Amino acid sequence: MKTRALAMVLVGGRGSRLHPITKRKAKPAVSFGGKYKLVDFVLSNLTNAHLTTVGVVTQYEPYSLMNYIQHGATWDLDIPDGGIHFLTPYTSYEGDQWQKGTAHAVRQHQYFIDHYNPEYVLILSGDHIYKMDYNNLIDAHAKSGAHMTMGVFTPNDSLKRYGVVNIDSEGKVTDFEEKPATPNAHAYASMGVYVFTQECLKNILNDETQEEFDFGKDVIPKALRENYDVRTYRFDGYFRDVGTIENLYKTNMDLLDHPEYLKLNDYNHLPLFTRSSDMPPHHVMRHDLIKTSLISDGCLVSGTVIHSILSNGVTIKEDAHIEDSLIFSSAVVGENSVVKNAIVLEDTIILPNTELVFDEVTVIDNETLWALGGEGND
Amino acid sequence: MIDMLVIIDASHRDAFDKLTLHRTPGALPFAGKYRLIDFTLSNIKNAGVINAAIFPLGNYRSMQDHVGSGKRWNLDRRNDGLFILPPKNMLLPGEEMLSFQRMHEHIEYFRRSPQKYVMITPPSIVWNTDIEKLLDAHKASRAHISEIMHGGKRLKTFIIEKRLLLNYILEYDMIPYKTLKDLIVDPKIDKNMIDHEGYTSMITNPYVYLKSNLDMLKFEIGKTIFSNDYPIISKEKPAPPTFYGHDARIANSMISSGTSVYGTVENSIIGRDCIIQKKSAIKNSVIMNNSVIEEGVQLNNVILDKGTVVKQNTVLEGTPINPFVTQKEQIITDHSGLKVLMVASEVHPYAKTGGLADITGGLSRALSKKGIEVSVAIPLYKSVKENYHESYQFVTSHTTEYKGEKQEVRVHVLYKSKVKYYFLENFKYFERPSLYGYEDDCERFSFFNIVLEEVMDSLDDFDLLHLHDWQASLMPVLMKVKRKKPLKSVLTIHNIDYQGLCNPEVLSGRVMPFESERLNFLEIGIAEATRITTVSPTYREELRHEYYAKNLTYPLARRDRDFYGILNGISSKHRPIKDPLILSKYDVNDTFPKTENKLFLQRKMKLSMGVRNFVVAMVSRITEQKGFNLILEAMDHFLEKHDTVQFVLLGTGDESIVERLKILKDAHPTQISLNIGYDSAVPNYLYAGADLFLMPSRVEPCGLGQMIAMRYGTLPLVHKTGGLADSVEPYDPISKQGTGFMFDTFEVEALENTLENAYHVYLEEKDVWKSMVRRAMQVDFSLDTQAQKMLEIYQTLFNE
Repeated sequence: MKTRALAMVLVGGRGSRLHPITKRKAKPAVSFGGKYKLVDFVLSNLTNAHLTTVGVVTQYEPYSLMNYIQHGATWDLDIPDGGIHFLTPYTSYEGDQWQKGTAHAVRQHQYFIDHYNPEYVLILSGDHIYKMDYNNLIDAHAKSGAHMTMGVFTPNDSLKRYGVVNIDSEGKVTDFEEKPATPNAHAYASMGVYVFTQECLKNILNDETQEEFDFGKDVIPKALRENYDVRTYRFDGYFRDVGTIENLYKTNMDLLDHPEYLKLNDYNHLPLFTRSSDMPPHHVMRHDLIKTSLISDGCLVSGTVIHSILSNGVTIKEDAHIEDSLIFSSAVVGENSVVKNAIVLEDTIILPNTELVFDEVTVIDNETLWALGGEGND
Repeated sequence: MIDMLVIIDASHRDAFDKLTLHRTPGALPFAGKYRLIDFTLSNIKNAGVINAAIFPLGNYRSMQDHVGSGKRWNLDRRNDGLFILPPKNMLLPGEEMLSFQRMHEHIEYFRRSPQKYVMITPPSIVWNTDIEKLLDAHKASRAHISEIMHGGKRLKTFIIEKRLLLNYILEYDMIPYKTLKDLIVDPKIDKNMIDHEGYTSMITNPYVYLKSNLDMLKFEIGKTIFSNDYPIISKEKPAPPTFYGHDARIANSMISSGTSVYGTVENSIIGRDCIIQKKSAIKNSVIMNNSVIEEGVQLNNVILDKGTVVKQNTVLEGTPINPFVTQKEQIITDHSGLKVLMVASEVHPYAKTGGLADITGGLSRALSKKGIEVSVAIPLYKSVKENYHESYQFVTSHTTEYKGEKQEVRVHVLYKSKVKYYFLENFKYFERPSLYGYEDDCERFSFFNIVLEEVMDSLDDFDLLHLHDWQASLMPVLMKVKRKKPLKSVLTIHNIDYQGLCNPEVLSGRVMPFESERLNFLEIGIAEATRITTVSPTYREELRHEYYAKNLTYPLARRDRDFYGILNGISSKHRPIKDPLILSKYDVNDTFPKTENKLFLQRKMKLSMGVRNFVVAMVSRITEQKGFNLILEAMDHFLEKHDTVQFVLLGTGDESIVERLKILKDAHPTQISLNIGYDSAVPNYLYAGADLFLMPSRVEPCGLGQMIAMRYGTLPLVHKTGGLADSVEPYDPISKQGTGFMFDTFEVEALENTLENAYHVYLEEKDVWKSMVRRAMQVDFSLDTQAQKMLEIYQTLFNE
């Protein structure tokens, strides 16, 4: 079957501002909404759009992500025609192919694009939160006859965080600036979602001589400079790029306060798929208070949970109190402990009678607890 | 890797009633996100079994959908893997266990599979077991066949070498056993019993289903079933974590993904994607996927099947033994104040010729106790007029044109124990000495239906009609042609042999939506009623076949989805502790006085008095249908062989059979007491005094005698058919449990063997017999249970 469009999903980002959440995993493998991982969004969007030829471009801490995605069966991407391909850095005749920037990474895997020889190539990030039908983007791109179309949106916060796009009356991109100091108020932000006509992508990437290059920083300005036809596609849905801990936390909390944003219960339109935990439904053991919270499979809850999200297999012991927090999978909160305004990472064990109450959102893992305990002993 | 293949025996349906109407038991949802078969498949996976075959019953779509290629359980293989081996006859009724014959249909599978051993197990056991250990135990025993049991209970699970199994399969039509379960009873077989420790529950009925689900909420049990090292794997649908709203109150419950909780949930299991609205309270219940509980709803001991919607302020209350069960995708409304009009030809105590009156009367009273406003309409027969004219009151009169004459109908009402009885008075048609048996019966009941339809709006504002047998079957169609919004109706078929066949003239010009040269009242009722019920679940299954349903097979098949089997209940007056008609009263705690009753019976029947004599009794109409062809022959042999056996018969009927019975009596004059034409209305001393109650009917829609006998601690011996199959739990020689004796093939030899078995247990295993008597006395055949099941149907009829 001829592949109309192929997707390159960039999952190599370090997500350094999310440290220590990303200490042992790539950003797309970060937990979200209890039972999801960030990468679920892009993979679900792809399968919902029947775009089943997917290159997953990895580099930073790939193990947990590869182990999670496996053959892609969760997203019905384990098919003989295409499916999921992990594209890892490799050693070739020319030397080690270490990725230097997002566009550089894609160029290293040009052989993969050539193999399927699609009309269009979709460049996506593995760490964005949004439900989007990529076919609309591709159709708009095909209809306009542009060389490249960028997905853009109007952010709910300052444009300064984003790549900012100005367009003319025909929708053509006139200029593009990464994180501008004084953005035009009517400009759009780039989602980091691009569709290229294949030839165009090949040409732009291949005659690049720079050692390090990114799509945002280098490829777009270059395409504009060289007078490629670059257009935008406006996405009106909910879109978040959770670059910081604060953002990650807020976006999670949107699920509690504004379930209508992502509509996770809507299985008819762009359902979100995630790998099964193979755990039984969670068990609320005692008559305790659970308010405005999301609780995932395998949890054992004997304490109070208020305005919080529990991932798979979390244990909340008797009389523990969880408030305004995210508890990642398999963490244990001991008897009588209080956790407020925290992100408790995977497998963290909070001993009984521990008080972890913060004014600002704080990430807790076994190491930070160790440090806190150490302080306490002084 | 383990050198064994596993046969998943999904060939039975068990007593699940509505829950398995459209799915096999293995496909039943369990513990929120699982289906029963997941436990067996996960045990298979965890043991490294790579070859498994499912033998499903007819409708296995939902199971097929669930297991897919078996990938989740590592059964998606190039060699071996997962097989689904359907029956050749898709309409096959459920079997007790997978037969050699069905295995023979797929003999190639057994031949091709390279594994040395075979395990056969049903998909309806909740357990987390190490199959490899079971195989090791079998090997160590060196027995030919091992049966896996749990605390003395049988699990229909066996391990056998494939070579041996193949022999049985190939010779299935020559050996006297249908299944491994039968085979293992043979004393010549070298067998071994393996007791499986750890939580094990074979789900066979709604009671066990509810209990086992709630067992998962006991942490000590739940953690052994949902072990981290040996996980239970299921097919998972995408669903976000459970959402708890601001007012949610939860105690000891498991709630699956995708569900939103705003109300109170206690000690319950909630499936995926349910909505539980505020001010609702769910206790001790199992709610399956996609159900919606609206505001103000209260549930206790309820099983809601998938997609059930419970409308605002509805209260559903079952008991742990008899949970309130709904059917898939139904809308349940509040029933308080629901007004039901029963339409029948007879009702106890006013007009009675047989069992129908007891059922319409008993059901009406039981429903009214449950908060339903019940009215009953029957013709005013002469006998009713004579006996009750001082008790009832005139309500209204109505004149109608019928067959060229003006007919006046006067309606009277009698209000008793919260039930309203309406009597329709008409001299020409109803005021005759007998209830029926007239040439113009069709005309009479056609007239009854026509005038009732015309007059009923002036009686009350009914919500629903419950129609009984052909005599009420025209009501739905009469309403359909006359009303914009006909009332909903439930038609109960008590006896399918009487259908009301007649000339369309009896409609006297009333239009019908169809034309026909001949009217069949029951057929019309079946086509037009909103729901149809019959008197036992097994009979309902049997009615799929021409042998039972005859000319109505196809009309019933078309209503298969709206057709239910509900076992009749019996009145609580049948209780040996309260019965003034027996010599010594007794109850389950002390059955000793039964002996005195036995001696009394023997004296009364002029049989030699002796406690050790084995008294076999029958109370029956004497017809071929009641199994007399078998009885005559089998009893002859049985009495010949044992001079300590005595046979007492009460009944009237077919002259030719009576003649043959008299010959039998002459052959064994001291052992038989024949009471032909005897007043069988009060045979209670017989129920109280006998040891065994014989009821080997060829066909028996429900049957009453076996239930009464059980209440009196007299074990029934029955043929496996209709209500007999539903009310008697057959004695099992391995687990030594049961409430009676049952034979399957309708042959003299089978009856004779079963009589011998029963007598053997009576003589040699006195403790087993006693425990069976106690068990039999405690079986619930209450009218209340029947009424609850009827209510489950009523409550689904009103959406919006």
